[in-house]
Amino acid sequence: MASGCTGPHGHLSRLFLSLLLGVLRPAVHYVEGRTLLLHRTVSSLCSNADHQQADWVGVHERICQMLVSIRSMKDIYDPAVRKRNQLRKTHLIKICKLVAQSKLSEGKHEEALHAAHCCLQTSIDLYGPNTIQLVPAYILLAEANMGLGNLAVVAELLSQAEWAVLKNPELGASVQQQLHRSLGHYHTSVGNLEIALHHFSNDIYFACEEYGLDSSATTKGYFLIADVFARQGRTAIVHSLYSEVAERWHNHLNSLLETHQQHADSSVSFYEKAQRVEMEEMLRVILEFEQKQSRRDAALIALIAHNLAMLWFINGDLHKAQDFGSTALQASLQIPKHKLTEPIQELLQQVESLQTEPQPGSD
Amino acid sequence: FRNTPKQYMCVEMLQDGYHRSFSELFTLLSFDLEQRANAPPRSPRLQEPSLGEQREKLETIRLHLCRAEKAERDGSWTIVCEERLHLGRYFTHPMDIWLSFHFYHSCADRVFGGRSKSATEARFHLAELYRQQGDLVEARDHAERALKQAEDGGWLDSEGQPLRLWGCRELGEIYSLLGEAYLAAQEYDTATMLLQLGSKMAIEGGGDKSVEAESFFREGMGLQSSGDHQAAMKLFNTCVELFGYLQDVKGLVKSYKAIAKSLESEGNIEECIKMLEKAADLCHSSDLQERLADISLTLGCIYSDVNRPLKSCEYFLQSYKAACTAREVVLQHKAQVKLGHTSAHSLIKSYNSEMETPSLTSVKRLVDWKETRGHQDFC
Repeated sequence: MASGCTGPHGHLSRLFLSLLLGVLRPAVHYVEGRTLLLHRTVSSLCSNADHQQADWVGVHERICQMLVSIRSMKDIYDPAVRKRNQLRKTHLIKICKLVAQSKLSEGKHEEALHAAHCCLQTSIDLYGPNTIQLVPAYILLAEANMGLGNLAVVAELLSQAEWAVLKNPELGASVQQQLHRSLGHYHTSVGNLEIALHHFSNDIYFACEEYGLDSSATTKGYFLIADVFARQGRTAIVHSLYSEVAERWHNHLNSLLETHQQHADSSVSFYEKAQRVEMEEMLRVILEFEQKQSRRDAALIALIAHNLAMLWFINGDLHKAQDFGSTALQASLQIPKHKLTEPIQELLQQVESLQTEPQPGSD
Repeated sequence: FRNTPKQYMCVEMLQDGYHRSFSELFTLLSFDLEQRANAPPRSPRLQEPSLGEQREKLETIRLHLCRAEKAERDGSWTIVCEERLHLGRYFTHPMDIWLSFHFYHSCADRVFGGRSKSATEARFHLAELYRQQGDLVEARDHAERALKQAEDGGWLDSEGQPLRLWGCRELGEIYSLLGEAYLAAQEYDTATMLLQLGSKMAIEGGGDKSVEAESFFREGMGLQSSGDHQAAMKLFNTCVELFGYLQDVKGLVKSYKAIAKSLESEGNIEECIKMLEKAADLCHSSDLQERLADISLTLGCIYSDVNRPLKSCEYFLQSYKAACTAREVVLQHKAQVKLGHTSAHSLIKSYNSEMETPSLTSVKRLVDWKETRGHQDFC
C-alpha cells in the first residue's frame, strides 16, 4: 500500500488507513486499489521528464500525500476536513493542469494525457459532472488526444465542452478563447476549413478581449488562422497575416534584445523558454512560406530572418544567429535605404565579436 | 452562441481575412469604452448606446475598412483614401465627431496617397472640424496645407468648381475668426492683418456674397477698434451695399450701427443720429424688437449726452417697450435705469438752484414741491 510515500505525513496517513480498515472493511480493497492506481499515475507523470528542477520530486511527494489523504478521508463528515479536502483537490487540479500544459508544449502528448486525465477526474470529483468548471479540463484532454491523433475522442470532449459553454454564456473570455482554439485545431485536422476559420476568428477575438490586441496569444491566433488560409490557397491573406505577425514579434524581440544586452544571461523562466521555442518554430514556418513565393517580398523576408537572428542570439546560438543574420542582410540590401539594414549589420557585428572572443572554459 | 454586434462584426472581418481592419475596429471600440468609463455620470456620451452595440455603424465601418484593406494589398492608394474619406463623412452625430477625426486623419496623414484628391478633401474637412471645435491654430494649419495640395492638384469638386475655392472660403473664415480673437486680445496689428487676409480669401473663394459681407464687416470692426475710422466706414458702406443686395436686414442694421459709432467717435453727432434713426426705422418695419431696443438705447444715450432730455426719454421708453416685447431682460433693466435717471435729472433741474442755495425759502419751496408733486406725468 502507500509504499512510495515517505515524508512527515506518511505514517499518519498509514495510521489513518488502518483505522479506516477497521471500520470500513468492504471498502478497503477499493480504497487500496484506487490509491495504488493513482499512485502509479503520479509516478508515471514524473518518470520520463527531464528533471532539471529539483522540486518535481517535491511535487511528487505532495501529490502522493494529497491523493492518499483525499482518498482515505473520503467519508469523513467533519466540515473542516471536507473543506481541507476541497482545497487539496483544487490544488491537485492546478498541478495536473500545469504538468499537462508543460508536457503539451514539449510535444509529449502521451505523458500529457495522464496528467490531463487526472485533472478531469479530480475536477468531476470536486465540481460534479457536466459543470462549466470542467471545460478547461476537457480542453486540456482534447489537446492531448489531438496530438495522439484520437480525433473521435477529441470531437466528443469538445462537444461536451461546447455544450457546457452554451449553457453558461457568461463564461469568461479566457476559457472561451481556449475552447475556440481547440475547436479550430480540431476542425483543421479533419478538413472543415471554413468552420476552423470561424473558430480561430473567435479565438482571436477573445484573446484580444482577455489579453489585449498586442498580446502573444493574439499573435499566435493570427499565425494559426493563417495556416487555414494557406490550406485554402488564399496566399494574399496569408502574406498579410504573416507580415503582421512578423512585425509584432520584431517589436517584442527588439526589446528582448535590449534587456539581454543590459543584463546578460539572467535566468529565463520555463514559460519564457517554451514561448521562444514556439516563436522560433512559427518564424521558420513563415520564412519557408515566404521564400517559396514566386514574387518574394524582400522586406518581409528581411524582417523574419532578422527576427530569427535576434532570437538565436538571445538564446546563445551564435552560429544560427549569423546564418539568419546574413539571410536578413541579403534581403534587406535588395531594397534601397531599407530601415532594417543598419540594425541587421549591427547585430552581425555583435555576433562576430562574440565569436572571436575566447569562450569561458572552452579550448 | 448569442453574439453581441461587436463580436459578430469582429469575427466576420477575421473570417474573411481582414485582420488589419479588425485591429482598427477593435482599437476604436476599446477607445469608446474607455471614454464612456471616464465620462461623468449623466453626460450626453452615456445617453447613447456604446459603439459596440450599434449594428448599422459597425456594418458601415466594416464594409469600408475591408474595402480599404483590400485596396491597400493591391496597392490602390486612391481607393484606400476614398473609402476612408467616405467613413469620415458618414459620422455626423455630435457624439461621433471623434470617429470623423480618426478617419479623416487616417486618410490625410497617409504616406502613400496622402496627397491625393480624397486625402486633400479629408484635410479640408479636418480644417472645418477643428474650426468648429474652436482649435483655430490646427484649423489654419490643415487648411493651408490642403489649399496648397488643391492648387497643385487642380481638381474639381462634385459641382465642377475648383477644389481650391473651398480652401479659400475655409481659410477666409478661419483668418477672420483668428483676427477676432486677436482683436479681443487687443493686438490690433495682427488682428487687422488677419482680418484683411480673411476678406481677401473670402472674395477669392467667390460666389457667396454673404460670406464676403461678413468678412468685410469683421475687418471693419477691427479697423474701428484700432482707431482707423475712415477706412472702417468705407468697409461698412460696402457692407451696406452687399447686405442691401442680399436683403439682409440684420446685416444692414449692424452696419448702420457700426457706421454711427465711427461717426460718433469722429464727433459727427448729427450724422451719427441720422444713421441710428435709419437703423431704428428699419427695425420697426422689420419687427426686429431686440435690435430696436438696442438701437433706441444707444440713441437715448446720445441725446442725453447732447442735453436733449425729452428726446432722450422718448427713446429710452421705446427701448424699454421693445425690450419687453423681445423679452430681453438685460436690455429692459438698462432702459429702465436710463429712463429713470434721465427723467429724474430733468425734473430736478428746475429746482437745482433751490438745492444749491441754503436758505429757508429754498427748503420750503422744495418741501412744497415734494408734497404737491404726486405722480406728475412730465411731458
